[in-house]
Amino acid sequence: MSDVAAARDALVRWIDEAGEEGRTFLQLRLDRTADGYRIRHEEDAGVGESDLSMAADPLAARDIALTTAEGEHRPLKTAPNLRRGWLLRGLSERELWTALDYLYPAAALHRYREMEGTLEITPWREVADRQSGIYSAVGLLEEEAVERAVEACCEDAVCLRKVRWGISGARNGSAAAPESVPCPEACSIFVSFARSVLVQERRPRAAAGPLGTLSEAEAEQIRAAVEAAGAGTAVTVREGEFSNPLNQRRLRYLSARLADPEMGSPVPRPEGLREPCDGCPRPEPCEGCPLVADV
Amino acid sequence: MQMNVGTADGSGKMQALIIVGHGSHLSATSSAPVYRHADSVRALGAFAEVRECFWKEEPSLRVVLDLVEADEVFVVPLFMSEGYFTEEVIPRELGLDGPAPSITRIGPRTIHYCAPVGTHPGMSRLILRRAEETAGLSDEEAGSTGLLVIGHGTERNPRSSEVVYEVAAGAREENLFASVRVGFLDQAPEVDDVLEAMNEERIVLVPFFVAEGWHTQETIPDDLGIRRPDAGRVSELAGRTIYYTPPVGTFPEVADIVVQRAREAGAEIRSGRSGEMAHV
Repeated sequence: MSDVAAARDALVRWIDEAGEEGRTFLQLRLDRTADGYRIRHEEDAGVGESDLSMAADPLAARDIALTTAEGEHRPLKTAPNLRRGWLLRGLSERELWTALDYLYPAAALHRYREMEGTLEITPWREVADRQSGIYSAVGLLEEEAVERAVEACCEDAVCLRKVRWGISGARNGSAAAPESVPCPEACSIFVSFARSVLVQERRPRAAAGPLGTLSEAEAEQIRAAVEAAGAGTAVTVREGEFSNPLNQRRLRYLSARLADPEMGSPVPRPEGLREPCDGCPRPEPCEGCPLVADV
Repeated sequence: MQMNVGTADGSGKMQALIIVGHGSHLSATSSAPVYRHADSVRALGAFAEVRECFWKEEPSLRVVLDLVEADEVFVVPLFMSEGYFTEEVIPRELGLDGPAPSITRIGPRTIHYCAPVGTHPGMSRLILRRAEETAGLSDEEAGSTGLLVIGHGTERNPRSSEVVYEVAAGAREENLFASVRVGFLDQAPEVDDVLEAMNEERIVLVPFFVAEGWHTQETIPDDLGIRRPDAGRVSELAGRTIYYTPPVGTFPEVADIVVQRAREAGAEIRSGRSGEMAHV
């Protein structure tokens, strides 16, 4: 029996054993009824079936996972912004698994492997080393900044998986709860965010009194955030739009820096890189600059 | 009946198809054609499993092989040319032995990595058919109409433009349009210069792009002074009528090219199960 088949059996057992209550899995409620398995949004568990939009096709899960309630694109399926108002019902075991793989790709499998002790963890160094093109420079990010990036990019407020990878090995942590889903390696959103952090970290910083040290760009980010908060205007910045200073992950990163003013010496400038790096990526690459590559 | 679906005829081995797209952190338009073509291939019933995966979206290239269970896996990139992504990124992220065509064995499983859709010889005829249809032209009208294939082009990778020239050459051989020209965004000859130099009063523009996006929806129409596609696909420009088609990668017949690519790599597809959509 393949690993996937075993994982599917384990998931089904886990749901069956829960009885009527069903199980909470990330933002989902999974249960079994007389006509098969059901999947709903956890917050819709108390809503009557007739008030939900019903489907029996596991592929309907794909469209549900594509956009948020506001119609925003969802490149990261474990972002805590799954929309409500739907119900998948009458699913067989395989259909349940397929639907889950569209809602949270490989999440149930990773959960199973973690519990079995077979989950392969890819450390950050390995992920960074295999990058190329515009991402080839992410390995230059110093450890402290990587950890701060994890805080900004991967915690429950922005992603429901639990980071299991560390800088050069697995992350030490408490044993997994059965409903938690591990993150075995940095994803594409993280790699892209790490690149944006590297650009930020390269900028010269000056003393900013009680705030520690700030770059011009960070000061501007604070001004923009305070202004938006003061104006009370709803600012919706796409989750992967790291060029925008009001992007949630970028604000979380700045927030982590501000919370510890002692922290955060700039990344040492790699040899051969000319100053200034402000405003990178440039339209024209500086010679030898790994931040600007041929993609 | 159910038992035969998606198995290589005779061998009984299950076949899976994986369509790879670039995807985007910002916009859903990039992945849309991947999902659409996956639906079409699914409807054919030639593969037990059909999955989509992306470089920039979930499901990622890193996990997609865990999302299918078949032993025979065919991977087709929905890309318009060979290059950095098809030759470096996709094989690396999937853990394959090499660029297409390649065969990688991982445990009991065989992964057939196929060439991208854009370089398939069937592309030329597909473009002609679509260009005619979008513009609503009869064959006779097409005979006095110009066709301009728009590529992105880049000075860094000659193959990005080569494929556009090849497709245009193939289209020219069919003798359907009065002329077939090529123009680029990021290299010479630039698309606005080419368009200006064309003599026909009716011209069909076909963007050789995989998906709708910033270029197809904004930069190309704005640079040429034609309507953006959301406002309409027909424009009057300096006394000429310009038709602007959706990007090639979104043409429904591309699903059939996906199947052809898998078949070339050894996927067993009963006759009548491919070619019936596009006749390519």
